[in-house]
Amino acid sequence: MTIAPTATPAKPRRRRRRNLTLTIGIVVTAAFMAMALASFFYLPHNPNVPRIPDRLLPAGSPGYLLGTDALGRDIFSQLMVGARTSLTVGAGGALISLVIGTIAGLSAAAFGRVADETISRGADIMLSIPGMVTALVLAATIGSGALTTILALSAFFTPSFTRVIRSAALSVMQEDFITAARLYDRPTWFILLRHVLPNVAGVMIVQFTLYFAAGILTEAGLSYLGVGVTRPSISWGMMLNEAQQQVGISSPLAMWPGLAIVIVVLGLNLLGDGLRDVLDPKLARRA
Amino acid sequence: MPVYIARKLAFFLLAVLVASIAIFLLIRGAGGNVAAVILGKDATAEAINALAQQYGLDRPLFVQYFDWIGNLLQGDLGRSFRTNEPVTDLVVSRLSISIPLCVSGLILGLVIAIPAGTYSALNSDKPLGAVIALLSQVGIAVPVFWAGILLSLLFGVRLGWLPTGGWTNWDVSLWGAVRSLVLPVISLGLILGASLTRYVRSAVLDVMNQDYVRTARATGMTRMQALLQVGLRNAALPIATVVGLQIAELIGGTVIIETVFSLPGLSRMILANVAAREVIVVQSTVMLIIIFVMFINLIVDLLYGVLDPRVRLAR
Amino acid sequence: MTTPPAIEVKNLTVGYEDLNAVRGVSFTLPAGGRMGLVGESGSGKSMTALALMGLLPAGWQAHGEVLHDGVNLVSQSDRVLSSRRGRTISMVFQDPMSSLNPVRRVGDQIADVIHRHNGVGRREAMRQAVDLMVQMNLPRPEQLARSYPHQISGGQKQRIMIAMALACYPQLIIADEPTTALDVTVQKQVLRLLNAATRERNSALLMITHDLPVIAAMCDTVAVMYAGRIVEYGPVQDVFRNPRHHYTRGLLDSQPTMDNIALDGSSRLVSIPGMVPPLQRLPSGCAFNPRCPAATEKCRTEMPELAPNGAACWHPVGAVQVVEA
Repeated sequence: MTIAPTATPAKPRRRRRRNLTLTIGIVVTAAFMAMALASFFYLPHNPNVPRIPDRLLPAGSPGYLLGTDALGRDIFSQLMVGARTSLTVGAGGALISLVIGTIAGLSAAAFGRVADETISRGADIMLSIPGMVTALVLAATIGSGALTTILALSAFFTPSFTRVIRSAALSVMQEDFITAARLYDRPTWFILLRHVLPNVAGVMIVQFTLYFAAGILTEAGLSYLGVGVTRPSISWGMMLNEAQQQVGISSPLAMWPGLAIVIVVLGLNLLGDGLRDVLDPKLARRA
Repeated sequence: MPVYIARKLAFFLLAVLVASIAIFLLIRGAGGNVAAVILGKDATAEAINALAQQYGLDRPLFVQYFDWIGNLLQGDLGRSFRTNEPVTDLVVSRLSISIPLCVSGLILGLVIAIPAGTYSALNSDKPLGAVIALLSQVGIAVPVFWAGILLSLLFGVRLGWLPTGGWTNWDVSLWGAVRSLVLPVISLGLILGASLTRYVRSAVLDVMNQDYVRTARATGMTRMQALLQVGLRNAALPIATVVGLQIAELIGGTVIIETVFSLPGLSRMILANVAAREVIVVQSTVMLIIIFVMFINLIVDLLYGVLDPRVRLAR
Repeated sequence: MTTPPAIEVKNLTVGYEDLNAVRGVSFTLPAGGRMGLVGESGSGKSMTALALMGLLPAGWQAHGEVLHDGVNLVSQSDRVLSSRRGRTISMVFQDPMSSLNPVRRVGDQIADVIHRHNGVGRREAMRQAVDLMVQMNLPRPEQLARSYPHQISGGQKQRIMIAMALACYPQLIIADEPTTALDVTVQKQVLRLLNAATRERNSALLMITHDLPVIAAMCDTVAVMYAGRIVEYGPVQDVFRNPRHHYTRGLLDSQPTMDNIALDGSSRLVSIPGMVPPLQRLPSGCAFNPRCPAATEKCRTEMPELAPNGAACWHPVGAVQVVEA
């Protein structure tokens, strides 16, 4: 690591902690993504096929790195597929909210009072509908599954995204270069794409990371309740539920998926905080 | 202030209206033929039509909506298709579990977060301040159901102090009911407290850097007096806003924690009815929860008005 | 019989970790005296003021002696200092917009100070607060006392701040650029009020500003700060008529007056070349040497102390200039 000698050495300790946050975040997130992607190409065992003779093997048993569950299915393979689910569902929900929220937030900021009031009040209303409730309703009507979960997450996160992007865009819109662009009679959509969007990109990346993490937590919760993803898909939340139902909470089976969730969510949150310090110094203090 | 109250009240009513239409359309629109959903894949067309006629599901959607919302306003939440039980009866007994759980969880969260967040804001360079910040960061990453599992593993299985699950009703044993709620409330409160700690910390940091806190000290308050009399009073404003926003999350946590500890609360009832495809029951109870959240948000908004003269006295 | 000075500062150093924003400042302000402290932003004048009040931001530390009312303020606890702040020593801050508690009525904020330090009851404190507001020329004081800060103007807020600072007849008032955040038309009124009110109470005034005419009008002595040190000190008339330090000279020359303000290129308005050096890259010797027209090798290696002529300079203005090849 090199720090240019001209940099202000005012708070070296904080700087080092910041770098540490970002580094841990990057490492954990990369490991998580690698595990999820690897699951497409290689799994030690089929995570859905029961092997009764091998049931409830402890961690470190030959062939089973973390042992097996009550039906003899390999825990590590299940964790790998669980990572895949977390990645697709969490990132999917965050991505849809990011796209809709950015469009809505920019529109609220740029298209006058009526648009702003409508979008902002709409977001307020959506915010007071618990995401869990939306998910339950969707599960009752269109059935549970990964897609339903992504939809529920999107409905849950979009209003928050909209609010954050709106306030970031509003502060950009007050800058002089926007006024200048207006004086040149640039159309509003052009100003938004050319000037506002690049300036809120940092906020977008940071928020995406944080909601990715929140999406993983929510997905795990829904799958734990049995209204999230279903087999043959596997979720860490689902694994916890099965462990609790089938062998009780004192089993080590109730540890692995929980630990996986905590580590990955913590890593993504650290990554988000680290990125915020780098990309979005104005917001950094509010962390 | 009257204008402010009227505006917030109007928004509350609008929000309830919009949410009810959304929920209704979501269930009826996305769900397709409700009677078919209820009866399942193997039902004959005649049976489906009969059920639809019996419950008026063949009427135009807007008629059904006004029917539903009209009854809802009179406290009639509809009836279960299978058992014909009134939903109101199903709900009431379960609220005596869910509401104490949810409210105590919120209070515990605040009781943890306000001192912890304040301390870590003022002592970020001390070891304990850093430990609090770290614990809060980790706590945010812990799913509430895992917290519940770990706590019941420790206090229920290992130490045997508290039940790991199940419910003793209030009228059977008050002490038993409280005992069944202790671990669920702690799980909810700890996890909520972890994320609230972060917000309290940043609100206090922000406020303590304000010029008016310096003025308070420059006119003779000690650092502690300035914190308690000026700082926290001003930090209460952003904290109130965040608490309002966390209510929706708290409901989600309550749903999950009732499952972890097998508490027969409102959410267990909803889950069972989701599984049984009791569409009307789900629709009405969900609406009830949304009204509850919106009502709490209304209270928070009004409280904000009382706390902040800039809002209270605005025209 | 001699009255002890309002404040006596000896070799005050204020720093964060190993960076010092104030590097050995000494001055004495007699009881009822009025001193101006001038310098560019970053010269350490605000840090000096905060150190006197014991209100340095977290992580900053003061060393040296600040004698006031028989105690050394630098070594006192927060509790002892707080019993003095607002009573024997008080401060008026730069930005009245953000310096009042937004959720408390302004009358109460003044009354709080009186109640806290004078031990009078709430009602009596409020009566005195309204009295003070009358003295501050605030309109409809009874009604204004019940207002919240967001309901009154910037000039009114600063008058409230001055009322809070004066409430207990302090021996010393520090005013840190009290008018920079106000409209030009209001500035003069607030300064006149501050001037009159401190004189009436015989409070000493330490006026921090970069506005030289204000100092000339309000103060008896002036200290010029540069890069954390006092580089020139003396009676206002002497320093402004006959500056000895090249920095003071530069400051005076860069003041716009009616005859040098022409901006058509013929302007004689000069500025000091260069910028105030950042703390972590202070030049050795006299900190002003890179910008000084008279700097020599000696200036680059040896730090000048404040001399009896009032300037900390090896080659003061008016002395025989050493011309370097």
